[in-house]
Amino acid sequence: MSVLTANSRRDLEIHRYPAPLYLLVPVAALVLQALLSRYLSRFPYFDIPLVITVYFALGRRSPIQGMFLGVFVGIFEDALTHHAIGINGIAKTVAGFLAASMGVRIDVQNVFIRVLLNFALTLLCSAIYLGIYRGLLGIELDWSWFTLLFQALGNSVIALILFPLLDRFQVRD
Amino acid sequence: MESFFFRYRNLIVLLVLLVAQILGLAMQVRRTGEGSNTYDPTDSKGVQLIRLWANAIVSPPERAVQNSKSGAGWIWQNYFDLRNVRQQNEDLRAQVDQLRLEQAEMLEDVRQGQRLQSLNKFEEKYLYKTLTAQVIGGSGSDLSRVFYLDKGKNEGIARDMAVITPEGIVGKVREVYPHSAQVLAINDQSSGAGVILEQTRVRGILRGNAEGQPAIVNILADSRIKPGEKVLTGGGDQIFPRGLPVGVVDRVEKDPDRDGFIQVVVNPAANLNGLDEVLVITDSEPRFNDKQLKDLAESESEKKEDAAALNEQKKASEILEEKLPGLTDPNAPKPAQDGASAANGAAPAAPPAPKLLAPQHPDRFTPGYVGSNADRTQSQAGDGANSAPRTAAPKPAQPGTQPTTKPGTTTKPAQRPTTAPVQQAPAQKTDRLEDTGSKPDAPKQPANPNPNQQPPQRKEQ
Repeated sequence: MSVLTANSRRDLEIHRYPAPLYLLVPVAALVLQALLSRYLSRFPYFDIPLVITVYFALGRRSPIQGMFLGVFVGIFEDALTHHAIGINGIAKTVAGFLAASMGVRIDVQNVFIRVLLNFALTLLCSAIYLGIYRGLLGIELDWSWFTLLFQALGNSVIALILFPLLDRFQVRD
Repeated sequence: MESFFFRYRNLIVLLVLLVAQILGLAMQVRRTGEGSNTYDPTDSKGVQLIRLWANAIVSPPERAVQNSKSGAGWIWQNYFDLRNVRQQNEDLRAQVDQLRLEQAEMLEDVRQGQRLQSLNKFEEKYLYKTLTAQVIGGSGSDLSRVFYLDKGKNEGIARDMAVITPEGIVGKVREVYPHSAQVLAINDQSSGAGVILEQTRVRGILRGNAEGQPAIVNILADSRIKPGEKVLTGGGDQIFPRGLPVGVVDRVEKDPDRDGFIQVVVNPAANLNGLDEVLVITDSEPRFNDKQLKDLAESESEKKEDAAALNEQKKASEILEEKLPGLTDPNAPKPAQDGASAANGAAPAAPPAPKLLAPQHPDRFTPGYVGSNADRTQSQAGDGANSAPRTAAPKPAQPGTQPTTKPGTTTKPAQRPTTAPVQQAPAQKTDRLEDTGSKPDAPKQPANPNPNQQPPQRKEQ
């Protein structure tokens, strides 16, 4: 794992994308998540909006952009559920912040780091969900450790496929 | 100061965003009567607006994908279009693939048609008014088992309507938008449906567990509940009509949180993970087809006819009761007199003896018969000296005298005049005749029916 200083990575490897992509890709991810969850309801082990949030946060290396993307994606996800608005928003805000903060310090092109980062952030998001449900909302929510684990693995696999695909849309100078 | 904000701007923005969202969450939480906080499922207008926007963004693509009849295939096909693969479809292999795709689509159409046909059949037979809707999307989260329908408020769907399939119940409408609706499935943890076990008649509330399976919770341990027992809706939740199939008992587990309680995991009758078309019960008032209406009308008319016949019978019996003679004797003393005699301490009077009608052709067996003149003359000539002079007036019966009644007659001995001194039979014969209670050689003297009335005197005396 190569660790560089913040300034050098920020200056050298800030990824840029066509402007519409910042809106289209998250919306497409949300729609795809809603669609696929219907067809793959037996295997709900993926969270594509989270993967997209992590990808853009890592690529842009801007915690603020990562956080705002997390807020947008999270609240959108919450709006599609019947739960309170803000649960996913908080979780993905934290995920976007952490991904961007780490993206400044580590080599995000490394496949192993991408997989590991998605795995860890997915587990973190799940922990935040449960914490908000139980702590803030007072809802007794059961959970299955296996489901959370499989979801983290699923997101890692999706990241492996999706990240190279989205890298193709980078605007290179 | 400026450098401080610039230096920690990321953390400050993070804090601001988190605090803003936590405040937003706090506005959606209400305090319960027990003093704890809980999420208020009733959305405020602001939250409803956010949900409406999200739905407005997601629903059109979902609808478009659904209308293409093969969602994943559509995406796949268009991906190749984007990659200029369609030009390669000019060769034979691509045409074959295309035909196969079309065949698959047609097969899917046929299957969908069959499903819709079975739905329509069920809808026609079903007692309640329903609306067929297609599932166009889900929530995207395994913690929120909701899905979206392609019909909404404009099509007549409202909140808390039951969503079912011919196989069993699916969920209830939670949120309604102009052209779509959100349905909360029965396997969600926040759902609740009143159910009853078919055989054991145990009632409970059905909700989803962590694995996404519906389970009946908060019921006392009952060894009678076995896997395979059918579960039906109980009708108590005012959402699902009573008696709809829910599923069968999959397994019975102990409630880990409460001793003595169990949770019954149910295998849902409806395929909750593969829903395509569903029925929304839009009206809980029963509707009947023409045949059922006709049957109902016939039943009502028969019921009225039966009631009328019963009424007629009752009237006839009342009339008969009025016309038929009663058991009371018109000659009986009035109740007032009876009351008076009872008040005087006298014994209650015996019922009056029935009046005997005068016989039209009296003979010697007739009570009170005295015989004609010819008979008397012939008798005197025949008997001569051995015949004792007959007593004209019957004497009252003496003790020890034999009754002169014919066997079988029921006249009272005390009232019967006897001719004992004249017609006394030998002792042995009397003994023999005592058995029969009559004397064959003695002339029959009829008993005077009226002891107060003296029989007429004979002319010879």
